[in-house]
Amino acid sequence: MSTHPTYLLNRAQLADSHTLEVARKDGAYAAFEKILNEGQDPKAVTEVVKTSGLRGRGGAGFPTGLKWSFMPDASKDTRPRYMAVNADESEPGTCKDRVLMREDPHGLLEGCLIAGYAMGLEAVYIYVRGEYRLPYKRMQEAIDEARAAGLIGKNILGKGFDLEIHMHQGAGAYICGEETGLMESLEGKRGHPRPKPPFPAGFGLWGQPTTVNNVESIFNVPFIMTHGAAWFRGFGTEKSPGNFLCGISGHVAKPGVYEVPLGITAREILEEYAGGVWKDRELKGWFPGGSSTGIVPADLIDTPMDHDSIKGIGSMFGTGAMIMLDETACTVRASEVLARFYDHESCGQCSQCREGTQWLNQIFHRIENGRGTMADVDLLESLSHGMTPGKTICALSDAAAIPTLAVIKHFRDEIVEHIEKGCCPLKGGTGTAPATDRTEVHA
Amino acid sequence: MALPEKLVAEFDQMVTKYPERRAALIPAIHRCQEELDGWVSPDTMEDIAEYFGLEPVDVYGVVTFYPMFRTKPPGKHVVSVCHNISCDLRGAQGILAKVCEVTGAQVGQTSADGKFTVEHVECQGACANAPMFDLDGVYHEDLDDAKVAKILGGLK
Amino acid sequence: MTKIILNGREVEADPKKPLIAACHGNDVDVPHYCYHAGLTPVGSCRMCQVEVKQGEMPPRVMAACRTPVAEGMIVDTESPKAHETRRECLEFLLKNHPLDCPICDKAGECMLQDFTFDEGQAEARTDEPRRKLEKRKDLGDVIVLDQERCILCSRCVRFFEEVEGKLQLVISERGAHSVVETFADRPLTGNYQGNIADLCPVGALTLKPFRFKARVWNLFKKASTCGECSRGCSITTEVLRNGEVKRFRPRYNADVNTWWMCDAGRFAFDRPNRADRLSGGRRRGFSNIEDVDTDDALDQLSDALRGSAAPVVIASPFLTVEEGTELLALCKQVGSEARFVSPAPNELADDVLHTGDPCPNRRGLTELGFQPIDPADALVALGAAETALLVGERVGELVGTEGLAALQTTLRLYVFDTNACTAPAAQLSIGVPDHTERLGTWINVDGHAGKVSAARSAPSGVRPLTSSLQTLRASITGAEVTA
Repeated sequence: MSTHPTYLLNRAQLADSHTLEVARKDGAYAAFEKILNEGQDPKAVTEVVKTSGLRGRGGAGFPTGLKWSFMPDASKDTRPRYMAVNADESEPGTCKDRVLMREDPHGLLEGCLIAGYAMGLEAVYIYVRGEYRLPYKRMQEAIDEARAAGLIGKNILGKGFDLEIHMHQGAGAYICGEETGLMESLEGKRGHPRPKPPFPAGFGLWGQPTTVNNVESIFNVPFIMTHGAAWFRGFGTEKSPGNFLCGISGHVAKPGVYEVPLGITAREILEEYAGGVWKDRELKGWFPGGSSTGIVPADLIDTPMDHDSIKGIGSMFGTGAMIMLDETACTVRASEVLARFYDHESCGQCSQCREGTQWLNQIFHRIENGRGTMADVDLLESLSHGMTPGKTICALSDAAAIPTLAVIKHFRDEIVEHIEKGCCPLKGGTGTAPATDRTEVHA
Repeated sequence: MALPEKLVAEFDQMVTKYPERRAALIPAIHRCQEELDGWVSPDTMEDIAEYFGLEPVDVYGVVTFYPMFRTKPPGKHVVSVCHNISCDLRGAQGILAKVCEVTGAQVGQTSADGKFTVEHVECQGACANAPMFDLDGVYHEDLDDAKVAKILGGLK
Repeated sequence: MTKIILNGREVEADPKKPLIAACHGNDVDVPHYCYHAGLTPVGSCRMCQVEVKQGEMPPRVMAACRTPVAEGMIVDTESPKAHETRRECLEFLLKNHPLDCPICDKAGECMLQDFTFDEGQAEARTDEPRRKLEKRKDLGDVIVLDQERCILCSRCVRFFEEVEGKLQLVISERGAHSVVETFADRPLTGNYQGNIADLCPVGALTLKPFRFKARVWNLFKKASTCGECSRGCSITTEVLRNGEVKRFRPRYNADVNTWWMCDAGRFAFDRPNRADRLSGGRRRGFSNIEDVDTDDALDQLSDALRGSAAPVVIASPFLTVEEGTELLALCKQVGSEARFVSPAPNELADDVLHTGDPCPNRRGLTELGFQPIDPADALVALGAAETALLVGERVGELVGTEGLAALQTTLRLYVFDTNACTAPAAQLSIGVPDHTERLGTWINVDGHAGKVSAARSAPSGVRPLTSSLQTLRASITGAEVTA
């Protein structure tokens, strides 16, 4: 096992790490209390986060401190302002925020308090996907404990600083993880993403300035404020500093959520942490950061896991959730599963996404079931180009198109083989799942 | 039809968390589904609409958007099997077949004895412990056929 | 105003409106579905793509309905990229759209047909089965919904919420399974349902009274004004082969009705299409009712007027300003008070358009000098008169057919109307054109002038009322007016 230094999951190793008593003994809230007691300049706090180079851990990798700085100047714009913590974690392969909320809820709360201080927030809403019942429960209990200890609410620790933190439960729907879809859902509506402009910092929750950040992004903040931006930059790479939680799943011996530095090679994660490809098999392909990042071939496994390196191989770092396929896995089958997913999850607003995700699903389903034609390969490519980039209100359309283009680029032969043979050459005779939940899409 | 007082009291608390009452709608629908036979009936939608000062059609649009809300009464137990990529790679299809076999329900349907509703769902965020299902709100992970038989068999 | 470069020329754009409004306002067509100037823009159909260059950024294709205008912005609505993006969008929209054109009312005025013809591709690349949804969903008395044709633009949803203030339709479910629905299959309600059929870019929402009645390219269309209340919404009268009125549709008028009209006005084509129209005069003889031509009828009437005391004159509130002017002059000649029948307000008045006042030209006639008289008082006046003149379309109905029928035959009643007056006291009925058959002006409740125009000919033998009144005046001039 590798010996990269860790900080994110250290507290989670302790028994009862989710309780205030254990967390506080381990140092929870010390950074926040110091900021509050010293009356630090909120802008300075944002500067530290900016200098640290922390990038969003929810998929887009946008610099967190920079995002905070987009909030309007509180002295000029006195509207109430909010943060929504995105705990909707629905990107296939991703299971890391769940661990943080379940095992170290106070760590997240401290990050919220610091963010609230830096941005002059009225309230923080932690939007948790509805299926995460235990993480929600742990978070709510932690909020109750923290409130009772005077850490949340009015006049926190007697320093005249007010901040509310509320849990909010979602009800499924991947699109509610999109920042504007999340805001619509939080407001009690269908989770339809909003066109941008306007951007959340100008028009967010209930039309007020809002920042939306991922759980893991906010979770990093207390560590940065405790040890400083320079310390944080000691982890990871220059353009992608820090550690991250890598959820590695699929055809590996030890799937799990592992804390590793950004910049570690995918091979090291696979072999040193996840026990290598299972069943003594060879790797065929892998998704670097969740299904939307698209498949890359096995021979790229030595690529460092950081934003720029993964972009350099034609994919994206995304949520850092690695999904591994061995030599027996069918990439067409994988594409069918993903296409079905995006079809199921499209909110339906944009013509390209609503119709395109269903269309891609129908085509992959036919190919996997031996009813594909050669024209389908070009059609998949052409439709994908109609769905990306930037033609729709949000990136779900791109998220469906990118893996399609990737599998054609890297595994075209396998697709063609399905078509020429009129069956899935890897399936071995077992049936496939229906293409969608609700309608039978083929005659 | 009216909402039980206990729920109304909960909603009165929930709405105070937000600057606009409507934000409590989805958590409120969850509570109704949990307390009122596991689904959201048209009557319940009208009651919820009345509480929030909305048109029933508005509530209907919200309920039907979200996969966790049911508009048909479920069986006594609901088994939601993930069939997304990480689970599929580790045998979710086999698990789904086993679940159907043990419960006697087809996918998307309730068993004849009304005990189990089986559905397949998208990624539940348990990818490192695939395959999995959610049984009545609790995740059961690292499944194999034997575990499925044991967990569900015990409920028959 | 903000200056932008639009297709190579500098134009002014209102910074309070999105880019697409600047394009349309400067005669540049940008195809669109979900956008409508009367509704909040949502940017969901993705059809209104135009290429925009701002500052140092490379040009990008953007949805014009959700793009704010900025000083110096360079907009190209005809760039290859814009056309390509629109073509792709159309292909996606047509993928599930049923090939219903041969049986769809909207054909000929369908935005999907039009933009596909302009920008789409000739051949489909899909054999995938299309969505199977409800095709003839009854939404009440006015609207039929075809969910398969729907392109989910949400205009109908936004209309009820924003214009009438009460949500009635939503998009339910999600993604490719989305459908437009009411709650629990309840019918739509209210007096503005017809507007969603106008708004619908395709044939998903059709009007029951118009369904399968005519092909839109066979309709002769004339700009006119609605007569069902004193709002006087600007409309288009649409007539099939110089015969029946098949549709009234709203016409944009910034001062009166913007884009909308109410159903009471929209579907008021029963009266214009009544079969028993007068085509000249009808006279009560000794033992029978006989048809006469208008000239003879006018001769008889002018004899009667010359030989009588000042008649009671009651005008229809449908009289145009021009007709009212002639009638007023006639009243002066014969010494009669000029009055128009003014029925009580009805219960259709609302916050949207309908005033509840059934007199389309109340203000116009009042400003000319006519006094209103309610139907009961009118009947009293008629009961006490020797000679009376009722003038204008619907006057008989508005004074009261039963009340007129009860009048004593000591009264000699002369009526100008679209249909014959069958009251025993009626000596003579002379046909007039209705407001789909004549030219004139009404002044609405707020003082806006609305033009009434002829979309078809009156029945042959019917003369314009202004002309009949002038003839009367000429033949009475010089005669003694007895007190």
